[in-house]
Amino acid sequence: MNTEKTKLKMPSIKLQSSDEEIFDTDIQIAKCSGTIKTMLEDCGMEDDENAIVPLPNVNSTILRKVLTWAHYHKDDPQPTEDDESKEKRTDDIISWDADFLKVDQGTLFELILAANYLDIKGLLELTCKTVANMIKGKTPEEIRKTFNIKKDFTPAEEEQVRKENEWCEEK
Amino acid sequence: MTNSGRNPHRFDQTFLGATELDDELIKQLPKEVLLRVFSYLDVVSLCRCAQVCKYWNVLALDGSSWQKINLFDFQRDIEGPVIENISQRCRGFLKSLSLRGCQSLGDQSVRTLANHCHNIEHLDLSECKKITDISTQSISRYCTKLTAINLDSCSNITDNSLKYLSDGCPNLMEINVSWCHLISENGVEALARGCVKLRKFSSKGCKQINDNAIMCLAKYCPDIMVLNVHSCETISDSSIRQLAAKCPKLQKLCVSKCADLTDLSLMALSQHNHLLNTLEVSGCRNFTDIGFQALGRNCKYLERMDLEECNQITDLTLAHLATGCPGLEKLTLSHCELITDDGIRHLTTGSCAAEILSVLELDNCPLITDRTLEHLVSCHNLQRIELFDCQLITRTAIRKLKNHLPNIKVHAYFAPGTPPAVTSGQRPRYCRCCEIL
Repeated sequence: MNTEKTKLKMPSIKLQSSDEEIFDTDIQIAKCSGTIKTMLEDCGMEDDENAIVPLPNVNSTILRKVLTWAHYHKDDPQPTEDDESKEKRTDDIISWDADFLKVDQGTLFELILAANYLDIKGLLELTCKTVANMIKGKTPEEIRKTFNIKKDFTPAEEEQVRKENEWCEEK
Repeated sequence: MTNSGRNPHRFDQTFLGATELDDELIKQLPKEVLLRVFSYLDVVSLCRCAQVCKYWNVLALDGSSWQKINLFDFQRDIEGPVIENISQRCRGFLKSLSLRGCQSLGDQSVRTLANHCHNIEHLDLSECKKITDISTQSISRYCTKLTAINLDSCSNITDNSLKYLSDGCPNLMEINVSWCHLISENGVEALARGCVKLRKFSSKGCKQINDNAIMCLAKYCPDIMVLNVHSCETISDSSIRQLAAKCPKLQKLCVSKCADLTDLSLMALSQHNHLLNTLEVSGCRNFTDIGFQALGRNCKYLERMDLEECNQITDLTLAHLATGCPGLEKLTLSHCELITDDGIRHLTTGSCAAEILSVLELDNCPLITDRTLEHLVSCHNLQRIELFDCQLITRTAIRKLKNHLPNIKVHAYFAPGTPPAVTSGQRPRYCRCCEIL
């Protein structure tokens, strides 16, 4: 159990973004990232107040957002293996998260990449769900438009993939 | 605040929309991330993603996105070519497939599927009425990891299917052959010998399932937890007593319409199956208070009980259950004609009453009166109560109950009173056929 006392003494750690900004971060919050957790534990940096963890793949804008998210979710239960196998829902995003992700696509994708690199399961799940929700219910053309994807099928190829997949459409 | 250099124009964009300046931003996402996104999509969305561009076509049809498929919504349209298509894209990834109600599905399709998708663990073929033993033969040949199969209402299935599964699927834990009326003791014996890990067996309405079949399950499958032999009418105490003794993990049992059973079955269950949480014995007219007294004494985890038409039981049964079953959540007493207000009083003073009991079915209990509803006021968790044809219950009492338990659903029916005098020229306002004469 964490007493008030240990909470006050909660050690912090310094994270350095790709553009060399330093983020003084509660160690418990930093550890929601599997990558950082492993680095701290493997390199014995946990007790070193002045150690700096370099994160060359995350810029300061994104890192700030990631840490905001991690702070809000610091008391969430750890996702378990069991969660992987259960029904995948996308309609269970809490409103704080939905607000948090009211960002442009560039930022959303950068957050995904950061969550992936930093190995933050909850954030990766949330951001991927958000992209899935942007796909759901759209036609192929609408999906292309949403993500600005170029159609690279020849007309013959397009006709073939349409035929292969038409069974799922309402008659 | 400083902006990160990569997308200087990003703050001009509308939320979640790309502008023409963004050249396929989504291309930044590595394959495994895009696959993770796809893992949240349903089959319709995946099929549409497959039509977006060449890269997405490959990823959307990647088997890892197709591990669990339920095609119930497309049941009319699922025919051979679709199954072939799906089998090829899923291959070894497919673990769970529901083809419930795909009535056009034939043996050839199931064979293609089994041939491509060796790792299927859960397969639902219920109401695929065309399939025959040839389907189960291919399943048993290729899908050795199968743990659960549902063949409910596949009426062509015979004992041979159970023999195939017994030979090829030693990991089978759940099987449903309800309404497969050709299944008999021979098939069940073969199944039980080969599939000793069996936990759930359901054979509703299979009239040929008899004592021998149940005894084989009891003998070879000690892990049975769920058994449903609804309407397997010839089953008697001798096989249920063996089952009780040999399968101590039994949690759910349905022997409704097995009218030959007597209190000896209930006593055996109470003696050996302390984990029992669901018991359905509708239409077991030989059961008496003595049997339920035994259950109440030993089966303290009972949560759901259907005692419809156990018409010998009296208020004593309720007294025993109230004392012995603190987790009782749903109780059906329809057509238990000897039950009175006093029995309900026992129930409401029991340990389950105040917080747990949520459904109580009392339709066609002719002796209960408004007093019953007064007793039920203390059951705070009660969500639903059935009172059809309880002729001594009044509207006033129901209203009072609702005042205390505002969320409760009361199902009752009151015939309209005497129709008001019809003034000439106007149509009668009540339909005459609904009146009780």
